[in-house]
Amino acid sequence: MGQRSGVGVVELAILEVLDARRARPHGRAVQCEKVLAALEDEMGLDRKYAWQVLIDLTQSWKLPVPLVDGIGNFGSRGNDPPASPRYSEARLSPAGQLALAAERGQIAPVPIGMINGNTHRDGLRPPFRPATVIDAIRQVLDRPRLSGSLITGIVGPPDFITGCTVTGDLAALNAGQHAELGLHARVTVTDTAHVRDREMKAANPGQRQVVLSFRTGLGPPGAAPPLLGASSRQDPSRPVIVIDKFPPYANTDETIRSIADRAEGRDWHSRHPELGALTRLPIRNLADRTTSRGGYWFTCEPADGTPPEVLRDQLLKVHGVSIYITTRLPRPLPAMIRTWIRANQHEDLPGSLTALETSLASRRQKLVAAEY
Amino acid sequence: MLGHAARVPCVNAGAPDIGEAAVAGSGFPVVVLAAAILAAEQVSGVLVGSAALWLRGEPVSVGDVDVVIEPGEANLRRLHEALCGLAVRSEAVPAVHRLREISVATVFSSYGRVDCMLERGRRDWEQLRAGAGYVPVADVGVLVASAADARALRARFRNG
Repeated sequence: MGQRSGVGVVELAILEVLDARRARPHGRAVQCEKVLAALEDEMGLDRKYAWQVLIDLTQSWKLPVPLVDGIGNFGSRGNDPPASPRYSEARLSPAGQLALAAERGQIAPVPIGMINGNTHRDGLRPPFRPATVIDAIRQVLDRPRLSGSLITGIVGPPDFITGCTVTGDLAALNAGQHAELGLHARVTVTDTAHVRDREMKAANPGQRQVVLSFRTGLGPPGAAPPLLGASSRQDPSRPVIVIDKFPPYANTDETIRSIADRAEGRDWHSRHPELGALTRLPIRNLADRTTSRGGYWFTCEPADGTPPEVLRDQLLKVHGVSIYITTRLPRPLPAMIRTWIRANQHEDLPGSLTALETSLASRRQKLVAAEY
Repeated sequence: MLGHAARVPCVNAGAPDIGEAAVAGSGFPVVVLAAAILAAEQVSGVLVGSAALWLRGEPVSVGDVDVVIEPGEANLRRLHEALCGLAVRSEAVPAVHRLREISVATVFSSYGRVDCMLERGRRDWEQLRAGAGYVPVADVGVLVASAADARALRARFRNG
């Protein structure tokens, strides 16, 4: 990886190619196929592999510090695949340009690799919140004897851009040991009125929302599949469970299919009622309410007689609603920060940190507007 | 007492109960339920790997389930049908004729990853079956390799 940005070698090669073709922030973008051809010609990088790395760099839900702006279809969080590299373009993001400048010694090093981690490419290092990593580095610069526990407290737990909840043995992770982390979607018990409200806010004026619904085995015979069926329309206080803020590495299309499948009856349920009770989800209706403006979210209506909290707990056990990843930092978190500072102590670190913050300002505004 | 679930403490405020999500209602790691479903679908196989060790009472974390499948035409047909019902993407389940040839069939289910070890079954079924015993998972008896066999297989895979 690049010593001065922590960005991976292949990622840096992609940034170099974009810069060489003047595909810079807010400027013109370059066709992705040309980027891949250049990577193959100049570095011998396999196109298929390089394309996968480039796709990862453009998928906004994977990296806290985006390095590339993708223009075109780079795929969805479900089964929608990216378009051919012939039909998409890319250019450096402001942070990508900063990473290159740091690698070339034009500015002091930036801790982009430390923030982004590499779990998005099946690595072991999870991402952290940019603002807290920058804050921790600043505080250690000001007070070099700051204790390790204070440093880990400032950095906080691993942070994924989708806002999923992180559970696991954080102490082990911070100590540089292997730690299994659970990444969990937000599963909220609410009511029909709240769902309608959210739909209204997410709807684009003049655009009809298409709701993908699943009729589940537990609904009454002949019931309409959409979530807000007759009973819900009559009763705005009817409980509904909203699932959103999915883990970044979960496939949302497969997750809703899993939930729908788990609501179906199986032949063996009558022979093994106890296993059936553990595995079958008591769902009346299920709908994917994902829109470009409203983000990725599903709604579930519990079957009659099922307390919504019981269904909520069961949903949290479905793969995709929760996923588990293995993580390990190369050394304890405080040592990572201290080592990085020590290696670069004669450079203008406050200046490069401010530049990194500035490069992420527009990203923050977009995140406020977007729902994951 | 069948074992001990590795508890996963929650690190985010505001989600106090989520740490239990790795564990099914009765205390099993969720992915173990996939093995129970295969057994309920009358697929003949021996559970090995971390799930087997967990059910044998060893303190290991369970990431997936590995099942050594009994070779035999009727069993492979049952396996194919069971996997189609279990897999998130049923189109990714190998056809029966492929199950006769391939080493491992991996499917992703809503419970987690399931590895069906077919080549191992073709080679070592009788020996593994002889040492295995039934362990109840909910109201299903799951055939689980002996701890010694599970450890030996694990070591063999890890040492290549």
